[in-house]
Amino acid sequence: MAWRFLLAILLGGVCYLDRTAACQLMLHRPLVVATLMGAVFGNMAAGAQVGVVLELIYLARLPVGASIPPDDTGAAIFGGSAAAVASSSIGLDAGSFTALLLLSVVVSEVGKAADRFVRKFNVRIARLTAESVDRGDIQAVEHGLLAGLTLFAVTGMVLALLFSGAGVVVSKELLPRFGPASRGSFAILLPALPLLGAASVYSCSRTERTAAVFFLTMAAVFAGTVLFRWSA
Amino acid sequence: MTTQALSTRSRSAVWRRQFLLQGCWNYEGMQNVGFAYAILPALRDFYANRPEEALKAVKRHLEFFNTQPAMGALILGASVRLEERVAAAESDPRAIGTFKVGLMGSLGAIGDSFFWGALRPMASVAGALLALLHPLLGIAAMLLFYNGVHLIVRRRGFDAGMEGPEAVVGWLKRAALNVRTDDRKLLAAILAGAYAGVFAGRFFVQGGGFYHALASLLLAAAAVHLFAVLFRKAVSPSEILSFLLLVGVLILWR
Repeated sequence: MAWRFLLAILLGGVCYLDRTAACQLMLHRPLVVATLMGAVFGNMAAGAQVGVVLELIYLARLPVGASIPPDDTGAAIFGGSAAAVASSSIGLDAGSFTALLLLSVVVSEVGKAADRFVRKFNVRIARLTAESVDRGDIQAVEHGLLAGLTLFAVTGMVLALLFSGAGVVVSKELLPRFGPASRGSFAILLPALPLLGAASVYSCSRTERTAAVFFLTMAAVFAGTVLFRWSA
Repeated sequence: MTTQALSTRSRSAVWRRQFLLQGCWNYEGMQNVGFAYAILPALRDFYANRPEEALKAVKRHLEFFNTQPAMGALILGASVRLEERVAAAESDPRAIGTFKVGLMGSLGAIGDSFFWGALRPMASVAGALLALLHPLLGIAAMLLFYNGVHLIVRRRGFDAGMEGPEAVVGWLKRAALNVRTDDRKLLAAILAGAYAGVFAGRFFVQGGGFYHALASLLLAAAAVHLFAVLFRKAVSPSEILSFLLLVGVLILWR
């Protein structure tokens, strides 16, 4: 298990760097992160299932200006690792799946608080950089940026360890305490989650024609899915 | 005054360094350290034998700066060209600050709307749909849809900026990001409709006839509408998820 956590820390660090500090190539998106964590903890498909739902849920919160959206990367680390572990122990039934998705909201808020802390700490780094430049040291700019990057990366790695550990603990210790019937009753909330994700995209894609095309496509695809299921 | 021209190596270094624009993002100067870091190779070329002026130039770029990171490439390229003119005493140093402050807000708004409000949702929902077939297919599609456009905008924006600040407006007109924003928002809405339809079909219809299916569709559409209304009233996804978690706990308690 130790090498799995080591890999999770490294991958988590890279994904967290992509989130704010470097590149923004979308390697930090829940679909990528949850699938990776699923693969690391033994079941890529289980991680991807979590990623597919988490991917859209937080899109309504845009990283505009100084606002920090909830940490969906952390939520995906937690959800992906927990889903993979649960699938090899109690099985990833609909109730467990729903519980993991809902519990990830706690993780996303903890990650957001950590992100805020890093950005506050970076104020000190930026001030020190400016003071060094005032004293004539131009290279301080490069040192300052390196310090900021390191802080983002180290925080990302710590969060990756924390959240993947939390995912493993929840799947191994918490979920088995509830019987299949209890977990099954939790599953009643599952249909709301993908619809919340779709609403998230719908609300940030507002144009004059959005409502018409969204609901017409939804109805057409729903009809197709139902017909396919009835004929199968 | 003779000024050393920007070397190919330094130009490449500036291009690469723009990817770290947010490397030291902070609440005070925001992207200031990242911007100064990115433009530093060019400043070293322009002020090769003038350390005092190089220092002043670096301080200029440690002022407050914040924009959408991909659109920052355009401002960065134009700032390099402006610095070249300042170093050759063809322009006032204050023009750089005025130019950056004048553009960062408007380009930030255009970039936020295009990248975060249109392109990312479109790529995300396309990836999520294709991931239902195979996770790796979904991931590849999402990264390709997003980065195909993202990297081109960065490259062309940087090149346009390097032609000089006068070329910025022309490039923005040609890029027509406002039209592309609407197109991608519409595409995102279509794909999100398909995503909602797939999941509503999976979860809601467990048997029953036509009217049961119709009621299920209407219920799912009403749920989407309710969530969208809540988002418009500034309720966050975290608050909705927390509420659902509370409902789940109450169900378990019962």
